[in-house]
Amino acid sequence: MADPAAELFNYLTVGGILFALGLIGFLVRRNMIVMFLCAEMMLQGISISLVAWGKYHANWGGQMLVIFILTVAACEAAIALALVLMLFHRSGRLDIAFWQEMREEGQPAYVDREIPEEREEDKVWPTLTPAGRLPSRDPEIDLHRSRV
Amino acid sequence: MDSKLHLLMVLVPGLPLAAAILTALFGPRHLKAASHWPVILALAGSFLASLGLLTEVKQRAAKTADKGGYEHVLALWTWMDLPDALRLDAATASLSAGAVANATDTGADASQKTASGSALRDFRIDVTLRADPLTSTMLSMVTFISTLVAIFAAGYMKGERGYWRFFTYIALFVFSMTMLVSVSNFALLFVFWEAVGVCSYLLIGFWYPKPDAAAAGMKAFLVNRVGDFGFALALFLIWTTYGTLDFHDRAAVATFAGEAAASAEESTGDSSSDRVAGPLGVVSPSRIKANAYWGGAVGLAICLLLMLGACGKSAQFPLHVWLPDAMEGPTPVSALIHAATMVTAGVYMVTRCTPLFSASPEAQATVAVVGGATALLAGLIALTQHDLKRVLAYSTVSQLGYMFLGLGTGSLLGIVAGMFHLFTHAFFKALLFLGSGSVMHAMGHIIDMRRFSGLRRLMPVTHATFLIGCLALAGVPPLSGFWSKDAIVASLHEQAHHWQEAGAGGSAHAAGVAGVEGKADGSHAANAAIPAANVPTLISAAALATLYQGLYFLALLVAFMTAFYTFRAFYLTFYGPERIPAEAGSHAHESPWSMCGPLAILAVLAAGIGGYLEWTHGFAHFVSLAPSLAGGPVLGTEKPGEFHLTVAATSTLVALGGILLASYLYLGSKREVQWLSSKANLEELSSWMDVERVAKWRQKPWIAAIHARAKGSGLGWLTAILGNLVLFAALLLTAPLALGHYISPYRLSYRKFYWDEIYMATVVWPLQTLGLLLAWIDRWIVDGAVNLCGRMPTQLGSLMRSLHMGLVPFYGLAMLLGTLILIAAKLLWAGS
Repeated sequence: MADPAAELFNYLTVGGILFALGLIGFLVRRNMIVMFLCAEMMLQGISISLVAWGKYHANWGGQMLVIFILTVAACEAAIALALVLMLFHRSGRLDIAFWQEMREEGQPAYVDREIPEEREEDKVWPTLTPAGRLPSRDPEIDLHRSRV
Repeated sequence: MDSKLHLLMVLVPGLPLAAAILTALFGPRHLKAASHWPVILALAGSFLASLGLLTEVKQRAAKTADKGGYEHVLALWTWMDLPDALRLDAATASLSAGAVANATDTGADASQKTASGSALRDFRIDVTLRADPLTSTMLSMVTFISTLVAIFAAGYMKGERGYWRFFTYIALFVFSMTMLVSVSNFALLFVFWEAVGVCSYLLIGFWYPKPDAAAAGMKAFLVNRVGDFGFALALFLIWTTYGTLDFHDRAAVATFAGEAAASAEESTGDSSSDRVAGPLGVVSPSRIKANAYWGGAVGLAICLLLMLGACGKSAQFPLHVWLPDAMEGPTPVSALIHAATMVTAGVYMVTRCTPLFSASPEAQATVAVVGGATALLAGLIALTQHDLKRVLAYSTVSQLGYMFLGLGTGSLLGIVAGMFHLFTHAFFKALLFLGSGSVMHAMGHIIDMRRFSGLRRLMPVTHATFLIGCLALAGVPPLSGFWSKDAIVASLHEQAHHWQEAGAGGSAHAAGVAGVEGKADGSHAANAAIPAANVPTLISAAALATLYQGLYFLALLVAFMTAFYTFRAFYLTFYGPERIPAEAGSHAHESPWSMCGPLAILAVLAAGIGGYLEWTHGFAHFVSLAPSLAGGPVLGTEKPGEFHLTVAATSTLVALGGILLASYLYLGSKREVQWLSSKANLEELSSWMDVERVAKWRQKPWIAAIHARAKGSGLGWLTAILGNLVLFAALLLTAPLALGHYISPYRLSYRKFYWDEIYMATVVWPLQTLGLLLAWIDRWIVDGAVNLCGRMPTQLGSLMRSLHMGLVPFYGLAMLLGTLILIAAKLLWAGS
């Protein structure tokens, strides 16, 4: 085998790249699900580093901790996605910047740049020739359907 | 055997206290208009008890005559006891323990010296009451006057709102005053000194919604406070000098349960001094016999500070300003407090401390000078007042000055005369005040003499009793005022002679009286029982002789003025055309018997008691048996008893002269009064300052003629310049002569020599300004600092607030940065 140190270095690099990508993605992205995915990626990066260290020191410690991490990541995923779902039900949006009311008094809100008005000539929607029947809709269900 | 005496001693202050509590508790709802009953009954009972005490003390004192005086001290309980509170150095300790500190060093003294070295003293205050001639005299006088005033007040204050409050305060005051003269300890004396001051404040400000009355009450209390400051300093000095604050020896105290463990119950002051355990009292017979008093600077300081306290309470210069304003209170209050009882507390205290004052002739001279100056000042002011009560108030201040003149001579004659004048003055001054109260009651609470006159047919009883009071005050024989005033003037005369002879070094007169201290040769053997008086060190004897001679003439002048202004007030009120002010309404009639009765009783006593007591020499003999006056250097001085004919004749003539002058000026048409007052007001002077009048001179015929002639010969400009120079001079003179208008004799007297204004400018205004400044500092600087401290967290918080803006990615970034900082710190600084 080649130099164990070099091997370790390579593995750590990969893990580090994954971690860095996840970190930057978490801070930059606005979609809640994507933010969550980036958080998971950070965890995976750490896991690779840990396995590499385990191999380097030739014991099971690294891999054991990875198993723990995977378990915790799974729980965390459940909770995080449940939270995202609730937030989506309330607002109809997956935008993290929507939820910024919990701030101190007097601080300015974060307002997105203005989206320019749509031009009339761009308002062209694809159409399909009508076929079949429209499905019947129960007004009761429609009433309680979450806004999409 | 002593239980009767003890019971009487406790009843005299105890009954008024009980009445005060009763009236305070039941007055508002249950007693209401009958609130005077508990108080009058209690005061009458207290008076009877004090009479009993007087007879009992008289009997016992007669048995122990010539043995250093009689006193009986009863201890009720111990108020405080701090063991080993003061360490006296060797000299002071031996002084306190009875060894004679003078240079006499006979073998007999060796057994009396305690162990050499410093001694420890306990700070112990027992609540003790004493029965001795001085106390019982004061008590009988105080309770008698109080009873009569209370009866008068029941009629005077009828229908008044707060009736029960008035009588509560009166009873409380009588309790405080009787305790003041009964206690046997300086600290307790101070407590009741303050207590009478408080009662005086409450009573002067009785009609507190009236701003003048409230201000007068405050003024009285604050000015008294200044005096009390001096008194407190004197107390501190006495404690550190003598190691005790009691009047009596610690061992000579009786209790209710029985006698004290150590020596006999009655302190007789003879050979029992070597059996006395514990410290000697400050004015106890043992200490007086041993003459263990400090003279020099310490003695002078103690006496001057005590005098300052007395000045505050007895309204002497410079603390006299409160008494005239205290006339804002109800008239019975003026009669009781500011004529007969509270203001005499200072005189009582100085008499009690006679041994202390004897150790310092300079202090006695100061007392006399202060008294004389006050007498003169107050007499001058009283000449022009038009408010009847103010005239009487200034008269009180003046007579108190007389009493201090008597006390300041330092001779037994003078001191007894001062106390005698206190006694008789209480009667006739209370009579005069109650008479003015009767007038006020009839005139609808108007007391300005310019608004009423000619009341003698309307109020015959008041007129007759007031006349008797005026005669007594003026000092016309055979009324009581004459005897006491004459004694004071005689004592001044004798003291002047004494210092003259002492200054000339006459040995015959000086034997045992003013001898050089500590001489123990054979010529003094006969007078060995009388300790040698201290020689004045700061003032020469010749100067003292001149001083007392001057004071003698001053006393005669003041007697003249007293007679004059007293009868001026009398004639202005009761003679002349009958005028009644509109406020009188239906009131203008003679007062009811509840008010006239006390007037009649007091008139009889004011007329007779002085002559009676002087004729029998009862007063002088009795009071001289008080321990303060029964031993020590004062025994070697002039004794009362001799009747000085020349002095008596002079003072009678002076008094009659004053009365005649007042009669000439104020009976009849009062033409001369106008002329006199305009002269005294320097009104002619003001005509010189009138620039317009001077300008009109150029129109006078002879001046105009000269000017025309000068113009004709071309010198018109010269006369014009001269005329303008005269005008200019008149203009220049306006300013200083205008000042003269303010300090004309009449105006000075009428405006009380501007003392109130002087105090306002020098004391009150600076303090008020300082107070405003401090209030400003307190509100803006101190509170500002506190508020600043309170605002700082908010400001700091607002700095941190911008970190919370609600965006989740920002919080994530913050967490990342924090972690980076931690890692960096660990890598760079934490080391291994």
